[in-house]
Amino acid sequence: MTARLHVLLGAGGVGKTTLAAGYALALARAPGRRVGLLGIDPSRRLKDALAVALGDMDAPVPGAGALRAAILQPAVSMRRWASEACPDPATRERLVGNPFFRAVADRLATATDIFAAARVAEWAEHDPGLTDLVVDTAPGLNAIEFLTRPERVAAFLGGRLISWLRWLAPGAGSTQAPGGLLRGGARRVVGGLVRIGGSRMLGELADFFSLIQGTFTRMIGRVQATERWLHEDASQILVVTSVRQDGAETARQLVGALSEAGLGARAVVVNRALPAGFATEGALVEVAAADPHAAPVIRYALAYAAIQERVVEGVRGVAGKTVILPDARGLDGDGRLEAMARIGTLMRGGLE
Amino acid sequence: MAGATASSENGPGVTPLRYLPRVLFVLGKGGVGRSTVATALATALAARGDRVLVFQWALSEAIAPWFGLPPAGIEPCEVAPRLYVANFRLDDSLRMYFVEHLRLGTFYRHVIHGSAVRRLVEAAPGIAEMMFLGHLCWLTTLAEKEAGLRFDRVMVDTPASGHGTSLLDLPETLGAMHVSGLLGSEMARVGQMMGDPAWTGAVVVSLPEELAVEETLEVVPRATKSLGRPLVAAFVNRSAARFVEDEANPAWLLALHDRVQPRVFDSLGGIQSDLAGRLGFERRLRDALRGATQHGTVSLDDQLALGSDGSPRGIVTALAGSLEALFAGAA
Repeated sequence: MTARLHVLLGAGGVGKTTLAAGYALALARAPGRRVGLLGIDPSRRLKDALAVALGDMDAPVPGAGALRAAILQPAVSMRRWASEACPDPATRERLVGNPFFRAVADRLATATDIFAAARVAEWAEHDPGLTDLVVDTAPGLNAIEFLTRPERVAAFLGGRLISWLRWLAPGAGSTQAPGGLLRGGARRVVGGLVRIGGSRMLGELADFFSLIQGTFTRMIGRVQATERWLHEDASQILVVTSVRQDGAETARQLVGALSEAGLGARAVVVNRALPAGFATEGALVEVAAADPHAAPVIRYALAYAAIQERVVEGVRGVAGKTVILPDARGLDGDGRLEAMARIGTLMRGGLE
Repeated sequence: MAGATASSENGPGVTPLRYLPRVLFVLGKGGVGRSTVATALATALAARGDRVLVFQWALSEAIAPWFGLPPAGIEPCEVAPRLYVANFRLDDSLRMYFVEHLRLGTFYRHVIHGSAVRRLVEAAPGIAEMMFLGHLCWLTTLAEKEAGLRFDRVMVDTPASGHGTSLLDLPETLGAMHVSGLLGSEMARVGQMMGDPAWTGAVVVSLPEELAVEETLEVVPRATKSLGRPLVAAFVNRSAARFVEDEANPAWLLALHDRVQPRVFDSLGGIQSDLAGRLGFERRLRDALRGATQHGTVSLDDQLALGSDGSPRGIVTALAGSLEALFAGAA
């Protein structure tokens, strides 16, 4: 892959989305770049800041140079991938009407990581001129579950069971039972599944697996392509925390899980940090003691500074670099695009 | 802790809840303090004598370590008197369901545990969610007889709000899948649990910040629709309403200008305006949710401003103290 992949990971609420957008804006300002930003969270801030109707397919961001952005919508991706893999309209209709397909596509959020991973590779396929793709992710360890539990991805297709089920599917391909199908183990397993879920559900599940195979094969291919892309030297994984103990703990766990998957984090980014020197300002304590209006705010600031110290200490040395960023100002007002680009530029500087 | 109070929209002080379902889903975006509030609610209930479980679904269980204990598994672990913590895991739950509940040990070993079926169970959409709700149902019904586990209340710490509300939708989702057999009867039981207002309810946790407020305002109608009734209450965590002046440059701040380093002064100004900014977001949330929940919106003070050391356990204890009044009259 010639483009660079930049993935931001971290606990919920640490500012991943803002930093991903800011970083992408900063990258897009360099000459000769063509940058993509894939978000997973349709937050209003991102929409407002980028002033673009973000959808599942990427669209240019006005005023942001060569930046294109998209927001992952698993239901839309899934339907697009199903169409891609089922050129025959009748088959496609049967798939889209299958209750399991609807459940996968619309409701259940457990597989966001897999959808995001497949979407990343799809982007690169469709946009050969891309130089950088910045990816925001689901909170916490969920974002990299596809790396740590690859069997979950393969489970959609692998193994004898799925071929038994496919044989059970009404009107789906083979009319001949595979050798010895309903003898021994197979009979027991299928009988057991009927006992658990009933024969109608089993039939629909079988139909689902049969119809979805082409879609899943491509999806798995893309997830694997993304995994290879992540392992390339030029790719970087940035783990973000804010000044929060649980954020730092999640950052450490993420780095650990990544290293088990043979991946290193380029940096841990501590977001929304105060400048040094709070703890040594005696005047703050004096004013807090004397003025009841000042006291809660100053107590808050000092407690924040103390937590920051523990957070920074806790993540230092965990990854290649520790980047400390101030709280970005002006994200909610006019000029929010500039404010995001500013924090992104700071982050870019810190990473170099 | 001094100064820790909750306030509802009925004015200062706490209006006690009229009733409290046995199972309470605690919804909210990542980072709003969902686990903190769930544990504080549980601690307050335990203080009045209830046996309470905080039931999580997390890749890495976080609450037991706040109490100096190793992360809890699916077996409830008592972290403080009458306060229990457990974490859902699909493997354990399947084993418990088939081996301990249905007494189908042989079936489990030969059919479920075999790698082909296990992989199917992991991949098939909705199975994990179904087992989660089934386990929850078991915990509040048969667990006492079958495993000697009795809980008066269960706080469900849902993974993230998208995921959390999809759990509330599950009976409907699975209804469309024409399930019968064991899963079908399990589903009927779960449907009964979710449909009973005395059995199941939900609260939402938010922060007085732009993104959290936006998300909460999306989650509340969605969850109300899925449940078929209003949420029990909304919580604004880290409220600054009781202690910050609605002013960007209060006199005390200006007076500090020549007494501290410029960068410290600037950051302190930033903190003051952030805290003051929370007032507006909290007002927006309260106004938008007026009448949308049964009890109203309850504010929880930001404990960092009230002398807390910021440790999760310290914050939970302080919040629980302020929440006890909420449960004074709850049946």
